[in-house]
Amino acid sequence: MTYLQAIADGMRQEMRHDERVLVMGEDIGVFGGAFKVTDGFLDEFGADRVMDTPLAESGIIGTAIGAAVVGLRPIAEMQFADFISCGFDQLVNVAGKMYYRQGLPVNVTVRLPSGGGFSGGPFHSQNPEAWFMHAPGLKVVAPSTAEDAKGLLIGAVRDRNPVLFLEHKHLYRRVKADVPDGRYVTPFTARVARAGTDLTVIAYGAMVHTALEATEDLDGASVEVLDLRSLVPLDEEAILASVRKTSKVLVVDEANQTCAAGAQVAALIADRAFEDLDGPVRRVATPDVPIPFSPPLEQAVLPSVDRVKEAARELLEY
Amino acid sequence: MATSTAEWAQDPSAVSEHLTLDDRVALLRYMLLMRGIEERAMNLYRQGKVPGSFYDGYGQEAVSVGATFAMSAQDRLCVLHRDLGAHLIRGVTPGRILGQYMGREGGVTGGRDGNVHFGDHRLGCVGMVSMLPDMMLVATGMAMAFKLRHEARCAITWFGDGSTSRGDFHEAMNWAGVQRLPLIFVLENNQYAYSTPLDHQFAVDPVERAQAYGFPGLSVDGNDVEAMFEATRQARERALAGDGPTLIEAITMRMHGHAAHDDMKYVPKEQVEEWRKKDPIDRQEARLRDLGVDTAAVRAEVRDAIEAGTQEALQMPMPDPATATDRIFYEGDEDVVLGDGHAPWSGFARATGGV
Amino acid sequence: MSSSNTETAVVDVVMPQMGVSVSEGTIVEWRKRPGDWVAYEEPICDISTDKIDTEVPSPATGRLTEVVVDVGATVEVGTVLARIATDARPGEPHASEGGEPPTSEAAAATGDTPAPATPDPAPEPAAARPADAPQRRRYSPVVMRIAAEHGIDLSRIQGTGRGGRVRKQDVLAYLENGGAAPAPAEAPLHIESPYRPEPTPPRAAPAPAAPPAPRAEPEPAPTPAPQPAVAATGRGEPLSRVRRSIGERMKRSLELAAHCTTIVECDMSAVEARRALIGTTALPIVARCVVDALREYPALNAWLEGDTFTRHEQVHLGIAVSLDEDGLIVPVVRDAQDLSDEGLARRIRDLARRARERELAPDDVRGGTFTITNPGQYGALAATPIINQPQVAILDLEAVVKRPVVVTDAAGNDAIAIRPMAMLCMSWDHRAIDGAYAARFLAALRRRIEGV
Repeated sequence: MTYLQAIADGMRQEMRHDERVLVMGEDIGVFGGAFKVTDGFLDEFGADRVMDTPLAESGIIGTAIGAAVVGLRPIAEMQFADFISCGFDQLVNVAGKMYYRQGLPVNVTVRLPSGGGFSGGPFHSQNPEAWFMHAPGLKVVAPSTAEDAKGLLIGAVRDRNPVLFLEHKHLYRRVKADVPDGRYVTPFTARVARAGTDLTVIAYGAMVHTALEATEDLDGASVEVLDLRSLVPLDEEAILASVRKTSKVLVVDEANQTCAAGAQVAALIADRAFEDLDGPVRRVATPDVPIPFSPPLEQAVLPSVDRVKEAARELLEY
Repeated sequence: MATSTAEWAQDPSAVSEHLTLDDRVALLRYMLLMRGIEERAMNLYRQGKVPGSFYDGYGQEAVSVGATFAMSAQDRLCVLHRDLGAHLIRGVTPGRILGQYMGREGGVTGGRDGNVHFGDHRLGCVGMVSMLPDMMLVATGMAMAFKLRHEARCAITWFGDGSTSRGDFHEAMNWAGVQRLPLIFVLENNQYAYSTPLDHQFAVDPVERAQAYGFPGLSVDGNDVEAMFEATRQARERALAGDGPTLIEAITMRMHGHAAHDDMKYVPKEQVEEWRKKDPIDRQEARLRDLGVDTAAVRAEVRDAIEAGTQEALQMPMPDPATATDRIFYEGDEDVVLGDGHAPWSGFARATGGV
Repeated sequence: MSSSNTETAVVDVVMPQMGVSVSEGTIVEWRKRPGDWVAYEEPICDISTDKIDTEVPSPATGRLTEVVVDVGATVEVGTVLARIATDARPGEPHASEGGEPPTSEAAAATGDTPAPATPDPAPEPAAARPADAPQRRRYSPVVMRIAAEHGIDLSRIQGTGRGGRVRKQDVLAYLENGGAAPAPAEAPLHIESPYRPEPTPPRAAPAPAAPPAPRAEPEPAPTPAPQPAVAATGRGEPLSRVRRSIGERMKRSLELAAHCTTIVECDMSAVEARRALIGTTALPIVARCVVDALREYPALNAWLEGDTFTRHEQVHLGIAVSLDEDGLIVPVVRDAQDLSDEGLARRIRDLARRARERELAPDDVRGGTFTITNPGQYGALAATPIINQPQVAILDLEAVVKRPVVVTDAAGNDAIAIRPMAMLCMSWDHRAIDGAYAARFLAALRRRIEGV
């Protein structure tokens, strides 16, 4: 099944088995969702559990919080990850801090269709995860495979803390694989997408695929690709173990370069793996610009297979 | 200041139908407890024992006491910073509250948040955030869950006149109206948002805008604790009947500054004097004395309770710095949800099934 | 050689002759600049010649007053490169500080005699230049850590990284090859071999990934803009002098000689055992075998110059040493026939070290009668080396690789065994000998190697 279908399957399975789970968002019921992720859900689960909300991101997040603290397990969808900025306050200040301050956990899952590559323009292409990595009390996961999409979604729903689930739009139908049946949880850890010995490329989401493609046939080098999968908590042990093995690291972000997740990864490596390094920790990221609309502009800023390949090659030769 | 006429009558005879004498004494006791604790806390603050800032609801006690008295054990509350009475009625003890102000380990949040930014979730209260009126949406969500599960209970949330200018007010009112949720919005109109008077805050009083969202808005004398009780009780009935939300505007006056550091010079002295005459505790006390109640005994009892609470709080240690980074994520296996609080109103005890 | 002008106490620094046939040299780097103090025999500049790169020691103590020949310039032997004022005193102002460069008149006026020829520890900032570090080496954290953990002297390791830096894999390879012993890394890559890794030219960009199928949302899924083919990156740079020189030699050899290459595969078990015993690489053991085999087949230990074929009694064995970007050099073990394999090991080690530290004398690289090259550490299996003129043969010892081989016991039963095998590839000049001779020599060599 596709990555998109896997997400739908995860939600469907949880909703069938746990009546506390509901999905809420704009146009997700009758319309089946802007990307058709919840297509068919309304018929199966009814309007109470597949809620078409008003156009109010702050409201969606805030009410999800309220529902969660009285025992429901809401999955709140932002139609595009970009719109999370309208719900930033509720997410960061109410959900993120509630358990720390008041001992009251907030079991909400916020689904965020993120990423660019199809002329979505500045407001439909963002990768906002770094904002929320920076806010204490929020977990952030970002699957790159269909199997992980389902497992991480189920994991997010069951996790009693607020979890942001970054589903990359460009992977929705591009990624297809066999996905295990039933309900399973993918742990919030990293995954070695390809093992290698000469260089590690660290990425998540769509960039995992870019990294794999860029390094599968690179001058015979053996390149390891580490799929972070979980940004908060960040799998520090996996990162450090990979660096210990290869001693050279390239970190790839589709998000804007400054203070992206990759910056944190690079800082971690510089801090804790200095003695294992045989070269500088390099990064490839989108420059600090809004994602432009026209294809040549957009393709110029998003990290391409070639850019990653070139950076990898340089580092291999260092 | 715009008002709208109450649907419900506010004459005392209508009110007393639902309140026994004990209830009415209880209302006074809770208001006295609230004021007494806040005065004690203010003193502690001036003695340097209370870090950060200190907020109180002096002169507004009826708003939280009266409204909370109408809430059942299963109802859920989003309590704001001038609503200490709500916490007291639900069952938070004076000692824990004073410990909370002083940042002690035994305070309600264990030093994690300050002053009135607390809520004992075991008693059904959600601790507020400083971004106002964020909690309106949380309450909306709680009410939404009650409706989805067809439960006979409601949620209540307090917010101030100033906070109605922010987007979350609109989103919550709209959402509650669209979904016809069992929700009580209590707008504490205490005339000032910090130094901003009403005429700088809105062109149309929010209570009049409630109907634009599809439900009634009601102005109530916020300094009459029994009127507050009755208005809330009726709003709760509406909610449980499936008739949706109500906006209760409690008209009152903030008698102290925004916080202890604010001397409220921007408030005309005449305004303060005028409102002093309408002090909610004085009024309730007068009512009870008329009914032969020994209010001095009530006061003495409250004083003792506060004294004991103070001693208890002063014994509490400060939190261990090593725990500062604990408890970011819940790692346990239980589904922690808001619990039931105390509901001292006799009406709940009297009820046979139903509410 | 220097000249001095006694009247003005100025000593010239001239281009030396590094070997009989050398007629010119190129300045590679000035270690001192005008105004610097320089001590007698302190390296004053680096030069490059056809034969060798080396430092030029100062002929006198004094202050460098003038640099006449700039970096990169090639001049004839004997050309004045710079001048030193020998009657200057340390502590006098640098020329750039506004003071007059001290002249002999000024010095004479103060009545001082020229400073004695002792290295002056005092005030000149540039005087304390270490004389023995031609390149500053930096090591990455992981390289340092591994070296510390295993007690490795990193200066012994040839780096294969950018700019010749020692990379993690270099240290690990060093360790794997038993480098804990004082022996330096194996005789490294022989550039004549076609197996020297060339930088891979960047490929043209592949077609971008297909866009997703169109969906029902407002944004259509467009085809991403086609990527232009990536041009070869890199800037053209002229070849270094040494590279040009090597290239010319190689080409000339190919043009002169009728090159053939014969290959024999040897079971290296005995060599491996001997190696472990005496603590060396395979090279010196094989070299000893080569020396013995050459005694049996002396036509291979010879020079062919024009029509003149000269067999040599002694075996002066050339061992190819790679200097990475600085190319290749073949120092010679003279009278190798007098050395045991251990003796050869010691001599080879010493020559290789001096080669890498640019300390070879011109005579160290002349007079070889047979050459061995051993790039095996990189794992290549076979090669077709180019003969080192005017010799008539060159032997390439390639990688030792464990293979399944057929072994026959005394009763004639065959079995499969795992043996360390290596190819010995000898290129030889068909003008001097024939294939049968070459093959017989190799067979004899193999017998010796397998019977070590």
